[in-house]
Amino acid sequence: MALAATFLSGAKSRLLPASVPFRYFGAALAFHLLAWLLVLLGAAQVPSFAGGLGAPLGALHAVTLGVLLMTAMGASLQLLPVATRQSVGSPRLAATLWWVMAPGSALVVAGMAHAWPGVLAAGAALVLPALLGFTLLLARNLQGARGMPVVVAHGWAALVCLGVLLASAGSLVATWLGWTAAPRTAALGWHVAFAAYGVMGLLIMGFSHILVPMFALSDAPPVRPSLCWLAVACVSLAAAATAALTSAPWNAVFGCAAALGGLVALVGHVLQMRHAMRTGMRRDLGPSFRWVHAGWALLAASLLAALALQSGLVAWPRLAPLFGVLLACGLLSVLMGILARILPFLASMHAPPGRRGPPMPSTLTADRPLAWHHRAHGAAVALLILAIALDSAWLARAAGAAGSVSAVAMLLYFRFAWMRMHAPPAVPAAEPPRTATVRVVASHKSAATEPRLPTSPLQPAAPAGPAQNPTTTQAGVSSGQGTAQATRTAPDGVAPTAPPPEPPGAGLR
Amino acid sequence: MALGEPGTQWLEGNELHLELRGLAPPAPLVLVLRNLGNVPAGGALVAHFGRDPMMLYPELAQRGWAAQRVDGPPDEVRLRLTPAA
Repeated sequence: MALAATFLSGAKSRLLPASVPFRYFGAALAFHLLAWLLVLLGAAQVPSFAGGLGAPLGALHAVTLGVLLMTAMGASLQLLPVATRQSVGSPRLAATLWWVMAPGSALVVAGMAHAWPGVLAAGAALVLPALLGFTLLLARNLQGARGMPVVVAHGWAALVCLGVLLASAGSLVATWLGWTAAPRTAALGWHVAFAAYGVMGLLIMGFSHILVPMFALSDAPPVRPSLCWLAVACVSLAAAATAALTSAPWNAVFGCAAALGGLVALVGHVLQMRHAMRTGMRRDLGPSFRWVHAGWALLAASLLAALALQSGLVAWPRLAPLFGVLLACGLLSVLMGILARILPFLASMHAPPGRRGPPMPSTLTADRPLAWHHRAHGAAVALLILAIALDSAWLARAAGAAGSVSAVAMLLYFRFAWMRMHAPPAVPAAEPPRTATVRVVASHKSAATEPRLPTSPLQPAAPAGPAQNPTTTQAGVSSGQGTAQATRTAPDGVAPTAPPPEPPGAGLR
Repeated sequence: MALGEPGTQWLEGNELHLELRGLAPPAPLVLVLRNLGNVPAGGALVAHFGRDPMMLYPELAQRGWAAQRVDGPPDEVRLRLTPAA
């Protein structure tokens, strides 16, 4: 009984059922494909896109609403409870929101791509309450937060930005319907700044404080500098909001200040993350993280483009669409890099443990689709930037084709992790060799002969396994009573034992 | 650092104990992995968590370590980590 009680206590895990985050991530990857298909089909309009309904606007919102926000929702619902040390208020609401958000986003994208304001408005009527529900869930979770002030502060700031985003989006939709609303230029300025740099930028910055140290196995970045960069980012957003409301010359002054401040905040954040990567036990974060780095560079480039636009020093007509592409591709690259790392990890945590414990993330990673995604995504981003710069519809078409290949590859990658997560536990002998890179500083022998009594937690890294048993293959989680079957806490936080495997597709209900 | 404070470590026989309750993620994960090499020969690492360390299991699997749940106070998830057989 004591053991069962311990399990039930441990079962109060903050981890949601796998179907909740996975349905958001799956939808995000489907919208990813839709976005690149719209670029392919609307290639003629892409290089000269300057706003207005059509395929490019549909593609842009397939990325922002479908990929970025959908991923942010799934990741927030999964990660924020870890940071705040309390569970999501209602896992059922978290799951239900998807059923409103996903079709709503699809309608918005369809309404924009086909220039159907009525469909666009119907989609917005679904997306707005879904995002309000998401805001409510997150606000409730943040309100009782008991840890990780940096993540919590970023969460609150992102929620404020989400409020501004919703208000500006409502105003823009009203304009499309011919109703009286806020001036379109101001609403558009707020919408772009608060959606991209506000909601997405701040959520990425905040969750990076959990994810990057977790992947790199390093200490979390210090709190004070992190809060300092957050403050700079918030002031920059306020400057961007002011720029959208003022006229010349003040709009240029505030606009330049916003772009510069955003750049400073981004560089400060990236330096912190790079420090975490350099000092972590795992130095090689895999090819996925190259896209995180590339995304950071693209985001910095977008802020430089914004600075050039706001200052008026560069009168290149292609600068405005280039800014949009750099911004969207920057956020997309960071997110795809992180998502490629998260998916096998999440699948491993949710998979039914085998005789020797949970499957390793490496066994849930489909290397070939991932390699295809990396190549095709790189080609798609480069081609799209060139298409804008050279005003070429053919290059835009090629970008759409390459991007579609990258999106299909990511869908296959997702499918592999999902199927493996629901597969019966693998036979240990069939597992491939592990490839984790661990920095070795101290020897096991010296540690064994000179064990340290209460000391600082910040010790140098040590070998990952004892010398006398270097060939053991996989972790097991046993009950402590000699049973070999896993008794790890069920991810849904209810069942004290491992759940039976579900057929693929089950759980997405 | 006094016993019971987050991050404290101590030896009981050939078991290295780590007090990880109260630490923000990913510190518990990182501390456990850093200390796997400090476990006395033939001994174990006993980690005192405030919650089930879901992220830890895949990392342990990759390093060839096994986690065994042992009894502890109701507000604690206590794991005994040993090299997998």
